[in-house]
Amino acid sequence: MGQHSHSRRPPHTPLTTMLEFRTAGFNPYNVKYSPFFDHRIAVGGGANFGLVGNGRLYVLNLTANGIACEKFFETQDCLFDIAWSEQHENQLLTAGGDGSIKLFDIGVGQFPVAGWQEHGREVFSVHWNLVNKSTFLSSSWDGTVKIWSPERKESITTLPIHSCVYSAQFSPHHPDIVTAVSRDSHLRVFDLRTKPSAQNHMTLAVPIHAPPKVRMPGMLNPNSGPTECLTHDWNKYRDSVIATAGVDTIIRTFDLRVPSGPVNLLAGHDYAVRRISWSPHLSDVLLSASYDMTCRVWTDGSNVDKGGNGAGMGAEMGRMDQHTEFAMGVDWCLFGAEGWCATCAWDERVLVWDVREFMRR
Amino acid sequence: MATERLQSILSHVAPNASPIDRITQKRADDVVITLALRTPLCKAKKGGFKDTPLDALLFRLLEQVVKKSNVDPQQFGDICLGNVRDGTAVYHLRASSLAAGFPVTTAASTTNRFCSSSLTATQHIANEVASGLIDVGVAVGAETLSFGNVRLNRPFVDEVRNANQSALDCEQPMGQTSETVGTEFNITREMQDHYAVESYRRAELAQKSGWFDDEIVPVTVKVKGKDGTETEKTITKDEIRYGTTYESISKLPPSFAEFGDKSHAGNSSQVTDGAAAIVLMKRSKALELRQPILGKYVGTAIAGLEPRIMGIGPVFAIPKLLSNHNLSINDIDVIEINEAFASMAVYCRDRLGIEWEKLNPRGGAIALGHPFGMTGVRQIVCGLSECRRRKAKILVTSMCMGTGMGMAGLFVSEQ
Repeated sequence: MGQHSHSRRPPHTPLTTMLEFRTAGFNPYNVKYSPFFDHRIAVGGGANFGLVGNGRLYVLNLTANGIACEKFFETQDCLFDIAWSEQHENQLLTAGGDGSIKLFDIGVGQFPVAGWQEHGREVFSVHWNLVNKSTFLSSSWDGTVKIWSPERKESITTLPIHSCVYSAQFSPHHPDIVTAVSRDSHLRVFDLRTKPSAQNHMTLAVPIHAPPKVRMPGMLNPNSGPTECLTHDWNKYRDSVIATAGVDTIIRTFDLRVPSGPVNLLAGHDYAVRRISWSPHLSDVLLSASYDMTCRVWTDGSNVDKGGNGAGMGAEMGRMDQHTEFAMGVDWCLFGAEGWCATCAWDERVLVWDVREFMRR
Repeated sequence: MATERLQSILSHVAPNASPIDRITQKRADDVVITLALRTPLCKAKKGGFKDTPLDALLFRLLEQVVKKSNVDPQQFGDICLGNVRDGTAVYHLRASSLAAGFPVTTAASTTNRFCSSSLTATQHIANEVASGLIDVGVAVGAETLSFGNVRLNRPFVDEVRNANQSALDCEQPMGQTSETVGTEFNITREMQDHYAVESYRRAELAQKSGWFDDEIVPVTVKVKGKDGTETEKTITKDEIRYGTTYESISKLPPSFAEFGDKSHAGNSSQVTDGAAAIVLMKRSKALELRQPILGKYVGTAIAGLEPRIMGIGPVFAIPKLLSNHNLSINDIDVIEINEAFASMAVYCRDRLGIEWEKLNPRGGAIALGHPFGMTGVRQIVCGLSECRRRKAKILVTSMCMGTGMGMAGLFVSEQ
C-alpha cells in the first residue's frame, strides 16, 4: 500500500475528489462532524484494532490543502465512540473501552476536563441530547444505558437492558425519548417522562428480526432468527422513523407508529453493518459502513419527488469501496453542499467525500 | 478483555458460530422462567414442617406463587408437581391449587421420576408451553418426608426379579448403591468426608451471607409441641447444622454397615421437608405480561444406567445434555448436582472434571437436605439465584435417581 494522500482511482469510476487522513498506528471506530464548525471533524479509535492498547481522539481540520490534525488526545483504552457537545463548541465526549466517559476541551491541555466512571464494561456509544442540549447518554457492554449531565458527577438515570447495548440515542425530535439497540436483536424505546416502575421507562421493545408487516413481492423476506444489532439512527425529518442494522447485513427501517415489524429492508452488504446515518438534508437517504469494506448510500423509497413510489421500495444508490478494511464510522456534513460525508475504517484512514460522485445514474 | 473484544468482533463476522451464542440467543418463543421461589428446608419429623402435611405445604407455596407472579391466575393452564413418596399427591395438588387461588380451569398433574421428579415436572410444563398447549404453567416440587412414605414394600414377583440382574437390583436400597459406588470407584471415606464438610461450610456461609434470601418465601405453619399443643410458627430459614468439622463427622458410624463402611449420616443427604415452584411461559408472553425474565429453559436430557450404581447417573446425563447443545463442561458457569451421597458427588465431580468452585456453590443436599420431589426445582431456584449473584449465565442442574437413571437440565440466567 502506498502512502498517497489522494486515494487511488479505480478504473471504472470518474475522477473523485476525496480527502484522506491517516490515523497511523490507530484504528478508528467513529467519525463525527462538529455541529459548530463545518471544517472540524473528530475521530476516535484505538491501537491494535481496539482490542488492546491505548486510544486516541483526533481533532481534524478540513483545509484547502487536505485534512490536518489540529490536536490529538491519548487515552488509556480504545475509544469506541465520540460525540460533540451541543453546548460548548470546543468540547466533545469519548466512550472508552475501560468503561469511562471523558469530556475533552480542545483548548485545554492534554487531559479531559471531566470524566465519569460508572459502566462496568466497554462503553460503545455516547450521544448528546440534540433538543435540550444539557444532557447526554452512554450505552455499554454492561447492558445499560445511562443518562448524564455534564454538571453532575453521577448519572441521572440508568436504563437496564441486560444485553450488550451497541448503540443508544436521544430522539432528535423529543428530548425525553431514548432508543437503544442491543445484542439481543431488539430496538427499545424509553420515555424518560414516565414513572420508572417495573419497566424502567421502557415503552416499546421491538424485535428487529420480526418479519416485515407487508411482504413485498420480489423483495427479500428473510426468515432469520435474532442477530446482534450494532447500530441505529433516527430519521431527521420523519419523527417516528428509525433505521437499524447489524450482523445479518440488512438495514431495516421501522416506523414506531407500527412497530410490529420493519417497514423496509435494504439488503446488499456482504458482511455486518457497523454504522448507519440518515442524511440531514434528504428524508429518504441514508449512509452505511460495513465490515465488507464498502460504504453505501441508500434510499428507502419513501420520497415520491425523487422517483421513489412512496410505497417503500428501498434501493442502493451507490457505494464507495476505497476503504481496504472494515468500515466502521460514517457521518454527514451538515453545512455546505448536501452530499459530503466522512467515513473511517480500520485501514487507519478517514475519508471525506461526496456521495453524489459515487451514485449510479 | 482483549479476547472478549476479539470474540465479539468474530461473532459479528461469523454469527452463531459459538454454541453459547446459540443457546443464549433470545427468541420470542423461548420458554422462560419468570418466578422462582421455595419454602425453607426443614428436617423431617423434627423440624418446622413436621406437622405440615403435603396439602398444607402446597397451599402455602401456591398462594405465594399467585401473589408474587403478578399474573392473572386465569392465564395458568397447568400445574405439574414432582413428588415421590405420597401416592395421593395428585389429590392434594389439585385441591390446594384451587384453594390457593387458581381457577378450576387450571389443570394439575403429578409426576414421579424419583429424585428428578420436579425437573421432570419442569420438562413437562416447558414442553406444554413450547408446543402451545398452555400459555403459562407452574412446575412444583414438594416432599413431606415427615408424612407420606410410599416405598417398595415387597419384592418384585419372581418372573420380574429373576429375569436379569438389573431388574433384581431395582430392589436395592439407596444406601447399598452408595456403598457400591464408593467401593467400585475407590471413593474413600476420607474423600467423602472432606466433600461433606465443604458442603456444610458452603451452606453455612451462604445462609449467613443472606444469599438464600431471594429464594425463600417464609411460611407460617402449625407445629405441635411435645405436649400436643399447636403453635403457629413462621419458618424463614433453612435448618442447616452449623459448625460441622471433618473431625466431628469422621467419628460417625456407618449407616449401611451390612453393605459398607463409608456412607453415614454426616456425608449423606439429610431427610428433609420442603417445596419449590417456578413459573414458565414463552418469552413473547412474558413481554406481553410485563414479567421479569429470570432465565431461559434450554432443555433436559435423561439417561439410564445400571441400578446398582445409580448414584453416578449425572455422569451419563450431563455429557448427553452438553453434547446435544455442542457445549463443553467448561462452558458451564454454575453446576448443581444433587448430593444424594458424598460417594456419588465426589465421583461425578472428578469424572466430569468439574471445577469444585462451580459445583454446588451454596452447598448441596448433604447440608441442605433432599426432599426427593422438591430437589429438581430447588436446584433451579438456587442455581438462578447464584447466577444472579455471580453475574453468571449458564446453569446445569443434575441428579441421580434410584433404579438407575440420571437427568440433567440446561438453563441460561438472564438476570
